[in-house]
Amino acid sequence: MTTNSSVARDSQSFRASLIQLLVDSQNSDGGWGYHRGGESATEPASWVLCALQNEERTAESQHAISRGKDWLLRTQTHDGSWPAFASQKEGCWVTSLACLALHEVAADAGAISRGLEWLCRSWPRTPNFFQRMRERFSPASVVTRQNNSLAGWSWTPNTGSWVEPTSYALIFMLRLAPAELSPAALKRKFLAEAMLCDRMCPGGGWNSGNPLVYGAAGEALAAPTVWALLALRNFPMLPQVRESLQWLENSIHQILGSGSVAIAHMCMEVYGRRVPSLDARLQTLFEADRFLDNLHVTALAALSLNSNRKLFPPAAQEPPLP
Amino acid sequence: MSAKNADLAPSFARPPARVAVRRAASYDLDLLAILRETIREFNLPVQGKSVLLKVNFVWHDPLGAISTHPAVVVAAREAFLSLGASSVIIADGPGLERDIEAIAESMRLRDYLGNMTTALVDLNTDDVHPVALKTRASNLKKLYLPAKILGADFVVSMPKMKTHHWSGVTLSLKNMFGIVPGSCYGWPKNILHWAGISNSILDINSAVRPDFAIVDGITAMEGNGPIQGSAKSCGLLVLGDDPVAVDSTCARIMCLRPERIDYIRQAGLLLGHLQEEKILQLGEKPELVKTPFAVLDDFRHLSIGLSLN
Repeated sequence: MTTNSSVARDSQSFRASLIQLLVDSQNSDGGWGYHRGGESATEPASWVLCALQNEERTAESQHAISRGKDWLLRTQTHDGSWPAFASQKEGCWVTSLACLALHEVAADAGAISRGLEWLCRSWPRTPNFFQRMRERFSPASVVTRQNNSLAGWSWTPNTGSWVEPTSYALIFMLRLAPAELSPAALKRKFLAEAMLCDRMCPGGGWNSGNPLVYGAAGEALAAPTVWALLALRNFPMLPQVRESLQWLENSIHQILGSGSVAIAHMCMEVYGRRVPSLDARLQTLFEADRFLDNLHVTALAALSLNSNRKLFPPAAQEPPLP
Repeated sequence: MSAKNADLAPSFARPPARVAVRRAASYDLDLLAILRETIREFNLPVQGKSVLLKVNFVWHDPLGAISTHPAVVVAAREAFLSLGASSVIIADGPGLERDIEAIAESMRLRDYLGNMTTALVDLNTDDVHPVALKTRASNLKKLYLPAKILGADFVVSMPKMKTHHWSGVTLSLKNMFGIVPGSCYGWPKNILHWAGISNSILDINSAVRPDFAIVDGITAMEGNGPIQGSAKSCGLLVLGDDPVAVDSTCARIMCLRPERIDYIRQAGLLLGHLQEEKILQLGEKPELVKTPFAVLDDFRHLSIGLSLN
């Protein structure tokens, strides 16, 4: 028979084994790839740094954080953005994650500030004049229903707004003190919050960002819903947040996939909802397929298992957006 | 690293394509025997080669109408291994749901495949290399593509037979959208939409032209595909050594006009054969297995309707 304390010990040792796996998988250049031995990439490196930083520090993990931080600082491009992989020159959506990770590990404020400035300059692409005219005068020909004047962030420059990159940027901004946000940043933040609300799927939750196509309601997915909810965690009374949180709570037992399971659990915890045990489910998934050897997923799992994480403090109890 | 599968030639400079249509009423049949026997007829150069099955794992699919069915995928894997391939991996880079493990679990891939770690590759998170595009149908010029795709000796496109609300149909050519990595371009790969879906399909297939195609048309999808359409039981597998010929044949089976589907028509210029007279049909005659697929209003002009035959 398993006692509560032995479960806790098992859970701690599982989390510790994931953390050790992350430390052991660091590349010689200081970064992390999506897979062990893969080229260092900004997304996994950022989430690994966040996971390590939220753990009790050892000399070994401190050394890994320091090398990881240096790798991120080295790979920032001249315009302040970060590319997906170190060998690339074009900045993209991962800039928000790099800024978030550098903020968590208390890195040079200058690099974070340049990243924030790039985000503020990086406007998504919107429909051109002719497309806008068509939307206005021939609404039946428009197959998607969304307010394109509400700008969030895109995956790559000069493309449209989508839920996840918008959420990542907001999650990063939420970690900054209000004084660190320029008027331009505050304007972008406000528009992006409104954009997320506009893009919620009928019935709650978010998909990548198409709530209605050809009149059919988009189906929500776990990951975009989690990131959007974490981005809007200062507005727990918003109808969109409440409805989507309910969708997530109703769906949580049907969510499949290690990464989705882990972050859904973490999100529910942030909102103070009762959550089923994550440890046993994640251990089962890990034993089956080792999270498909994906270090990004491993980092999110470690972060989700850590109930003392500071990265996502409990959701606020504030009035809704005006 | 180069895209070694690129194979651009006008139709008149190509040998005839071969396309095989096989009946398979359900996923419970001995699909391995059907596929092995059919693939053997093509005498493909896979002995000692690394084979990559580019499947279409697009969304959660417990009912088997959206993604390439795991029974077909695993049968194809075993068929290529039995024909001497040195390795066969199953790969995709889903464009909307980034959790490929969740998609695989929803389809019960593990029940068919066993351990997924060694055989299933998420192209969205693979290492990437820059590839200069050989055609300029879109304005993309260059794409980062996964190392696993560029390193494979033999690429097999394995789509589901479906209508598609942006491109008319999604078959072996459109399926190659999934090799573009989300790590660089996101979920969805919106850069391809802005560049033009049809034009992007052409440029991607010019960079990595599939060596072979196996279309899962046992349970297909009509209407508002590729995700929200209706399941349609067709009981067919379509295989071929020319993706344009395979897609044209599938479109005809679906009672759609391939020459009116933008990207298939243009692919017929440099990527393969569109004309029926250039396609050597093996197995069932396509006209005997035709079944009309419902399409959205925007794609009515593609429909032939059964009465035309």
